[in-house]
Formats: sequence, structure tokens, C-alpha cells
Amino acid sequence: MKNKAMKLARVEKDMSQEALANRVGVTRQTIGMIEAGKFNPSLRLCLDICHALGKTLNDLFWEEDSQ
Amino acid sequence: MKRLKNNLDERQELELLRIEHYGMWFAFWALLIVMVVQAWMGAPMAQIAGEWIVFMILCIGQVIACVRKGIWDRRLRPNFKTNLLISLIAAFAVAAFISVRMWLNMSGDPDLLWTIPFGALMAGAFTFVLCLAALTLTSHLTKKREQKLEAALYEDAEDE
Repeated sequence: MKNKAMKLARVEKDMSQEALANRVGVTRQTIGMIEAGKFNPSLRLCLDICHALGKTLNDLFWEEDSQ
Repeated sequence: MKRLKNNLDERQELELLRIEHYGMWFAFWALLIVMVVQAWMGAPMAQIAGEWIVFMILCIGQVIACVRKGIWDRRLRPNFKTNLLISLIAAFAVAAFISVRMWLNMSGDPDLLWTIPFGALMAGAFTFVLCLAALTLTSHLTKKREQKLEAALYEDAEDE
């Protein structure tokens, strides 16, 4: 499932995928794949992304209908 | 010696592990097939020795690494029933291989035909016993190690 919340938060911060990737220490492709729902990041990377975008885990990674 | 910095992120690391996983299994099956084909063609042990040594190092290394982590298999469980089944499959495979190999060696000589079932049975029985012993021992060690690792985790959690 696509992670629209993360993409939206990144755009709100006016950050490119490249900039976010540099900030959290991964490749741009990894950020692209997380946003496209093709890669499940570790909790450590989720936290780094949340810190970089000023959001919580709930804001970016919680899915109401994932149960 | 100082290790070089890892340039991969966690996704790339997983991709590389997957590539290495396929590489390892390709090496395993390719070596096994090469040895079986050479044995089938009647190659002497000296000719197969190189592949056999690499194959055994690969297998023993994998077994030791898995036992140390308390990991058995993705789908099979380390119990007697599974070990018995796997040992039987290995025994039948070896018995079939030996039967055909002996048949080809004898060129259908009727006086020696009686030795085929005897030879196949002996080879199959030895394979069965050795396989079952190895699987029983390693599954026991794996379970013991898994319990030890779990206990250590539990103790760590208690301490915190």
C-alpha cells in the first residue's frame, strides 16, 4: 500500500526525495520505494524519517484499515 | 584491520543478502549435480575430491551457523517424524542411484544381478542411519541452542 502520508509530509516540508534520503542516510530509491509501498523500513529508519519530517510514527506509518 | 564503511542502506543490504542467498544455493545445487554426474560417469574419488571438499565445507559451515543461531528451517520442524521422512528420502535416492550404477557396471550379467538389491539395500541402510543420526543430533543441538538464546533474552528483559 502506498504511503501517501509520508509523501504529503515531505512535500509540505518542501523536501525532495533526495534531500530526505540524505537527511536519514539512505538512497533516494529507498525513499521512493517506501512511498510506493514496495519496501517496509525498519523501526529505526521509520523513526529517522519521522524526526526529519517533524511527524510521529502514527502520522506517517499507522494504517487504520491494515488489520 | 579496520573494516571499510558499509555504503549500503538497509534496503540495499537486504537486496544484497537476497542475491547472496541465491548465489549460495546455486553453488550448493551446482556442486551436488556436478558430483552426482561425475560419480554416474564413473569418475574416481580423486577427481571428485575438490568439489566434495568445497561442498562439505559449505554444508558444515551452514549447519554450524544455523545451530549457533538456533535456526532449523523455514518450513520443516526439527522433530523425529520430519527427520525420519528426510532420512528415508535420502536412503531411497542413494539406493536408486547405486542400483542403476551397479546395473550399468555389470552390463546386465545375470550371474551378478543378485548383488544389485543387496548393494542398494546396504547403501540405502547406511545412508538412512547416518542421515537420521546427523539430523537427530543437529535438531537436538538447534532446539537446545534456541532455548538457551530465549532464556538469555528473558534474563536480559528481567534485568531491565
